[in-house]
Amino acid sequence: MTLRTPLMALCLSLWASAGFAAESAQTLDPAPTPKDWAAVAALPDWSGVWVPDIIDQNRQIKTNPPPWNTKAAQEVLELNAAEQAGKPKGLFVDCLPNGLLALMMITHNPLEFVFSPGRVLVLGESDGNRLRRIYTDGRGHPADPDPTFYGHSIGHWEGDTLVVDTVAVLPETYLAVSESVGVANNGDLHVVERLHLTAPDTLTDDLTITDPHDLTAPWKTSRIFYRHRARQDEIGEGVCLQGKFAESVDSHGDAVFTPLQYAPDGSPLPPKP
Amino acid sequence: MRRLTAALILAVSATTALPPAAMAHHSFAMYDQSRTVTLKGAIKTVLWSNPHVVIWMEGAPVTGGAPGVWTIELTSPGNLTRIGWTRTSLKPGDAVELQILPLRDGQQGGAFKTAKLLATGQVLDANWVQKASITAHP
Repeated sequence: MTLRTPLMALCLSLWASAGFAAESAQTLDPAPTPKDWAAVAALPDWSGVWVPDIIDQNRQIKTNPPPWNTKAAQEVLELNAAEQAGKPKGLFVDCLPNGLLALMMITHNPLEFVFSPGRVLVLGESDGNRLRRIYTDGRGHPADPDPTFYGHSIGHWEGDTLVVDTVAVLPETYLAVSESVGVANNGDLHVVERLHLTAPDTLTDDLTITDPHDLTAPWKTSRIFYRHRARQDEIGEGVCLQGKFAESVDSHGDAVFTPLQYAPDGSPLPPKP
Repeated sequence: MRRLTAALILAVSATTALPPAAMAHHSFAMYDQSRTVTLKGAIKTVLWSNPHVVIWMEGAPVTGGAPGVWTIELTSPGNLTRIGWTRTSLKPGDAVELQILPLRDGQQGGAFKTAKLLATGQVLDANWVQKASITAHP
């Protein structure tokens, strides 16, 4: 026992220092081993392009709306009224990144998943080909992460289900039910997702959204994506800001982007040839 | 079918009354979903870029009305590509008959529904929501 105790203490000490290191900014991520790559190869096949079921997105909002709190409900009421009046608020017209929830919940463009040791990457198409980086190397969330548009995500596999836990999403990003109706999450957003195949070419994201500043209770909802494999379905470049420019030629004969011009009524004028 | 149409409208629909926002990612609710206007004329310019393709056409409603330059908005290049469009599906100079959902404020603009190329009779639609939501392609 006298021998065991120091050994245990040493083990605990090593474990603790390793644990500490896992959360430290100075920790080096080890080079993947063949065993690590073999583990990736054993994961379910999520290759291809995953196109969102937009009809189901809308159905979900109608049949299972967010449990808005009083303040958020009033805002949603006003936003819905503006949309009904044909004067919708543009939540994303500034071309800033849409943020985590919009990418998974109201996107009109597909996603792609890339597995590698310690990472799952989610690549988008709209909104500047946004990227989610989900750490699957066993780390936790940082103690005080910088808030970002897509937050800090850690994941692990439970069988063929990828469970993702996300915090540190910028408070200005929306819990949106459409491109014109949504409320800023206002901080403290916590999202747990369970991503899994529900058919050979159907991926379902079961989300539990805890948004204490907007919701009265965690909101459970799902989003569906269909796999496409044709090359014409592949994800293309999607730079939001590009739509504010026309392709033109300058006085040197060089190709340039020229800001679009607008008529007094606000409508964009056709670019000059 | 009605549900599909509603969803299409909702998806195609989205934000801000002023068309500058139309050049960014937005809702299409500024367009009158209850009316279709048919225009006849020629494609003037195509802006094949994200987040929404825009075409300008010079023409007038077939039912009469002042001719002019109409600003027509579509979904993204990616969504159009996935239903078979290319950046040259519509080209400057093409004689076309366009069906649009008109701007509610009466300005000469709208959301694209279909285009008929008068030289060939080919009809282009933009039913990308239908493809995305109904069909899973292996």
